Amino acid sequence: MNDVMNDPVRGEPLLKVERLRKSFGTHEVLRGIDVAVMRGDVTCIVGPSGSGKSTLLRCLNYLERPTGGAIFLNGEPVGVRWKGERLYEMSFNELARQRQRMGMVFQGFHLFPHKTVLENVIEAPVLVKRVARAAAVEEAMVLLERVGMKQRASYYPAQLSGGQQQRAAIARSLAMKPDVMLFDEPTSALDPQLVGEVLAVMRQLADDGMTMVVVTHEMGFARDVADHLIFMDGGVVVEEGRPADVLTRPQHDRTRAFLARVLAA
Amino acid sequence: MSEKPFSRPSIHDVKPIAVPKIGHWIGGVVLAILALVLVQVLVTNKNMQWGVVAAHMFSPAILAGLGMTLLLTALAMVLGLAIGVLLAIMRLSASSVFQAVSWGWIWFFRGVPPLVQMIFWYNLALLLPEISLGIPFGGPKLVSWNTNELINPFSAAIMGLAFTESAYAAEMIRAGIQAVNAGQTEAAATLGMTRGQTLRRIVLPQALRIVIPPIGNDTISMLKFTSLVSVLALPDLLYSAQMIYARTYQTVPLLLVATIWYLVLTTILTAVEHAIEHRLKSEDRAGSGKRAGFLPFRLFARQQEAL
Ligand SMILES: Nc1ncnc2c1ncn2[C@@H]1O[C@H](COP(=O)(O)OP(=O)(O)O)[C@@H](O)[C@H]1O
Ligand SMILES: [Mg+2]
Repeated sequence: MNDVMNDPVRGEPLLKVERLRKSFGTHEVLRGIDVAVMRGDVTCIVGPSGSGKSTLLRCLNYLERPTGGAIFLNGEPVGVRWKGERLYEMSFNELARQRQRMGMVFQGFHLFPHKTVLENVIEAPVLVKRVARAAAVEEAMVLLERVGMKQRASYYPAQLSGGQQQRAAIARSLAMKPDVMLFDEPTSALDPQLVGEVLAVMRQLADDGMTMVVVTHEMGFARDVADHLIFMDGGVVVEEGRPADVLTRPQHDRTRAFLARVLAA
Repeated sequence: MSEKPFSRPSIHDVKPIAVPKIGHWIGGVVLAILALVLVQVLVTNKNMQWGVVAAHMFSPAILAGLGMTLLLTALAMVLGLAIGVLLAIMRLSASSVFQAVSWGWIWFFRGVPPLVQMIFWYNLALLLPEISLGIPFGGPKLVSWNTNELINPFSAAIMGLAFTESAYAAEMIRAGIQAVNAGQTEAAATLGMTRGQTLRRIVLPQALRIVIPPIGNDTISMLKFTSLVSVLALPDLLYSAQMIYARTYQTVPLLLVATIWYLVLTTILTAVEHAIEHRLKSEDRAGSGKRAGFLPFRLFARQQEAL
């Protein structure tokens, strides 16, 4: 609208995080994070519990308001807007428009329990994007087919396993056709035998070219699928690079200690 | 050591004899006798005048009164719940002005008996002879009404009943909203829903489901509270009966007519309430049934589509 950064330039990151800080009271959880996510890339974030991974993800779509730094999606600042030379906070409804472009999948699924799987998926397109109901249903069924949930379209979340719920939640996010999908430990709440089916859906999504930021403890997934791996500890990015490099030749003691722990488990 | 050998059956073949419940027997007999005496008094006492009761049970005046009682109950509940939702949202808002206004309303209408309120509303003209919309503090008025034209026994009754209900409903609905998982709001936000959309489509339907049982209770209470309107000479079930016995002096049989109708209505409402609760409970068992009906959800969904 008013900014040369608005046009996505080839080679510019789709999502860019600059010097991001977040404190809860006096507790500084993110202490200056810089991250760049290229279009079509899968970025995995790993690190010990409490290192600020969820907080980082939640800042990206402003579920948490950062205390410092900036986030850009397609070159456009997230959560704030320029008017002339002044910077304004966005209202909730402006934020809502921006959030449509970032899907998010939670550890706890958070499907709407009073709606069937199909209703969960069409809810936002119909309500927010004003897509005609019939068209939304048609698109939803394609998505549900993709995540292997077509047969369960008329089920309520309480009637589904955790893996099925998470796959439905992924379809629900995809229905808004986001530019980027954020996953916060999508398999951590699942029984071990259900982890695979969710990871398979995410692999397929990555193959289809979706830009993804995935916080995970699944090192196998990170190694096989990620284009870029970030190791976080104590609210900073300790180390990042190609997964093969970070996992096999970690440069920092903290990375080595962490990897030794998770790979032993 | 035993003097005589028993020929006991195998322990697997017999059922042990139950511990005698002597208390139950004695109490049961006494209560049964008392109940019989009561029935005998009811049936044989001439003062009950069952013939008169039967004659008035379906008389037009009584049926009209019954209709008025049902109308008052329904209207007061709908209005009370609507205001209650509003109050609950205000109470949970970040604005301290909204919070304070909601708190004040709930404090007042929970504290003042509905009967006192009704009489007060009916006499509102003594306090405010004219009600107007316009710029406050002496500014121009856009519209104004004579209070006596707005207030009649019916509107005074509805206000007294609905405002009292709104105060109780607000607290229930607030608890219901708070019981909805915070993840629901976040999931809605990440899908790009606005606050209003999230409240209307995601949070309220779930909160209302939680408060269905207490709302059922309140409806039954409301049905009985409507009998207070007889002080405003509003012809509900009780007042219709009173008007008849004021003329015919058949006080007891007409009170019986009203009593029987109240019992019939509360019994029906209780049955409906139990059916809904039973439904909810069986649905709450996760994964139960292939395609459980989720009746209230479907009802709410339909309601939501209509909004
Ligand atoms: N809403 C909050 N209020 C206060 N502290 C928080 C809040 N959310 C997270 N934290 C704190 O921030 C730190 C990082 O949390 P989190 O981002 O969830 O870590 P991770 O996802 O890496 O396990 C933890 O110490 C946690 O206690
Ligand atoms: Mg976390």
